[in-house]
Amino acid sequence: MCLSELQENQKGLIQKINGDSRFISRVVSMGLPPSSPFLVLQNDGRSPVLVYSHDTMIAINRKECAQIDVEMA
Amino acid sequence: MKTIALLGQPNSGKSTLFNALTGSHQHVGNWPGKTVERAEGFFSQGEELYRVVDLPGSYGLTANSAEEVVTRNFVEHGNADIVCIIVDASQLERSLYMLADFAGIERPVMLVLNMMDVAEQKGKKIDVQKIGKLLNIPVLGFTASDLDGYPVFFETLKNAIEKPSEISSEKIRELALASASEGRESSPVVVLEKLIEDLNFGKREKFWIVSKLLENDTLVCAEVEAAVSPELWRKIRNVLDDEGPNGGLITGEAKYRFISETLREVASAAAKTVKLSRFDKIATHRIWGKFVAFFILVITLAVSMMIAVPIIASCFGLQGVVEPLVVRACESLGLWPAVSSFVNSVIVSGLAVTVAMMGFVFAILVTFGLMEDTGYLARSSYVFDSWLSRLGLHGKAFMPLVSGLACTGGAVCGTRVLDTRGQRLFAMVLLWSIPCGAKVSVVLFLASVFFGSAAPLFGLVYVAMILASFWLSSRLFGRKLVPVDERVGMIMELPPYHKPHWKILLKTVCRNVWEVFKKAIFVIWLISLVFWILSYSRDGLVAHSLLYRIGNFIEPFTQIFGMRWQLFISYLGGVFSKEASLGVMSVVFSSSTDAFSLIARNEAGANLGEMMRAAVSLPEALAFIFASMFNVPCVLTMGTTYRETRSAKWTAAIAGYYFAISLGLAFIVYHIALWVL
Repeated sequence: MCLSELQENQKGLIQKINGDSRFISRVVSMGLPPSSPFLVLQNDGRSPVLVYSHDTMIAINRKECAQIDVEMA
Repeated sequence: MKTIALLGQPNSGKSTLFNALTGSHQHVGNWPGKTVERAEGFFSQGEELYRVVDLPGSYGLTANSAEEVVTRNFVEHGNADIVCIIVDASQLERSLYMLADFAGIERPVMLVLNMMDVAEQKGKKIDVQKIGKLLNIPVLGFTASDLDGYPVFFETLKNAIEKPSEISSEKIRELALASASEGRESSPVVVLEKLIEDLNFGKREKFWIVSKLLENDTLVCAEVEAAVSPELWRKIRNVLDDEGPNGGLITGEAKYRFISETLREVASAAAKTVKLSRFDKIATHRIWGKFVAFFILVITLAVSMMIAVPIIASCFGLQGVVEPLVVRACESLGLWPAVSSFVNSVIVSGLAVTVAMMGFVFAILVTFGLMEDTGYLARSSYVFDSWLSRLGLHGKAFMPLVSGLACTGGAVCGTRVLDTRGQRLFAMVLLWSIPCGAKVSVVLFLASVFFGSAAPLFGLVYVAMILASFWLSSRLFGRKLVPVDERVGMIMELPPYHKPHWKILLKTVCRNVWEVFKKAIFVIWLISLVFWILSYSRDGLVAHSLLYRIGNFIEPFTQIFGMRWQLFISYLGGVFSKEASLGVMSVVFSSSTDAFSLIARNEAGANLGEMMRAAVSLPEALAFIFASMFNVPCVLTMGTTYRETRSAKWTAAIAGYYFAISLGLAFIVYHIALWVL
């Protein structure tokens, strides 16, 4: 499943990031490398998703969320 | 002299440290041959002079943008005596990624754990000394906004330079190999290391080069390609292509593992459930968040303006006192009347206008500084990103663009919150079309004079035209300034809230206002001088000025745009300032006794409307109103744009662009109106 399919307050693990090297380096350096645990702070179905990982709150556009595979933890 | 390079992620407090270290001994320029801002400063400790280079902030060291290329070149090939990596102690795990990405570059390094106070408040315990032992480099726990902590910083720095230590990538390499599913030997890391075995990479470990190859880093790929035979490069390329974008995931995961293994022993945090705070729930709400952003912006601007208004008022008051004095002094010295006119309308009035406008610049810089300092800026960017990304801008551009409604020149300084020079330039281009209060009032005044109750309609048309100009600008400038392949959809950190660092903030703002003032005053004097020469006449009559002659001479040309010489002169007055354009009209359309000047702030005469209705036809009026909408904002905006871009070429290009738009629009409107009316 992709990141935006998780609901608010659900925890997940990053499985795979799909995209070009630029996108991957951005996601990784912001603190979401594969196998990081995270918590969904806000997902209202329309605005970018807010997640919390590695002590950091990160906002991710829904389009970009679709490129991040996760599993529920 | 020793050189220190400051390296850190955004929001790590790097600029607070830079400002506190260097104070007013700063120099901002461009990196040679690059359009990236280079901030450099100096300070001395004991007998030693230190040069501090503030590297552009980025989350990692992969060279994806112009800023990151600059940072990379400097850490790899620059002549820093020490690289000082600043991390946010309250977000240690994420923040240390910069250090992990740096590991393998054989340069002296020290680590500064900043914001220890915030980390403590969050219930984090960090054993600073033990981190130092584990990493084998000097590590300092620190709070950059607390000036009492600096003596320890200086001591650590001095020791770190005297006894340089480097950080190796060996542990990260081990972790990357440990996770290889098909055995170490077939791991792409080992395969690539063997392929580049014979190459010498100077001050960089082989694994560092390999990891950048795997991350598809443009700089390292180009460097390796140039150093090996085409045949060998093909082999390397094959390995990289087999891995695809996964290469970056292998190294990225290893770097984070390295961080968490280091931290496992030395940092602990009180277990806490993480939740969005009540304020953040509203501040990041799709609809309410936008209102909150607007409200906070207006309130903060208003409060900071209250500090600035007395300065502005006293400045104009002082001008009123000084001017008669100048006239009397010149008379008693027996100087030409031209001298006192020159001193008053160029020197004194230019100074007064500039000082007054610095009030706006001050208010806007304080407002933005506060928003950035507290962490709120990121929230406003988050809620507006969907709008601005359509233009290719970051959500952060929202604040400067809206402040343009208060003062275009000040807002140009506010574009500093944007991260790249391209984004800043593009935001400035857009800003010039956003009318400040003065411009709006001129346009609406003219509209109501000629079209009475239909004037509000012009407001709507104006808004539509501004949106259209955004579209045009994004077509003409957006793609060049903000390359499409450099745009990454929003993946943004929302930093934790902090208390503002008033002392450092106000100091930095005052210094910046002074810098802006120094540059702007010369531009304003220069343009005032040109305008003064054009409009000077001994008896104050328009008909005796140079401008009148030029205006008459080029009238056949300006009439294409529907502007007779009176209107064209008023249009030029508008280039100087919006207030001036009404004053100019008052003089040229009436037999008023006011001396004609393009730059004096003459009051609009009470019967200006009537006179204009009598002298100007409707098509001409329409042309003039539309030309005024997109006229160059004012001389202060030109001054600040020049100061912020540090490029006369760009300033002239933006001015030329708006001349073209406003005159083009006047042309179209005039000819349609002639045909219809």
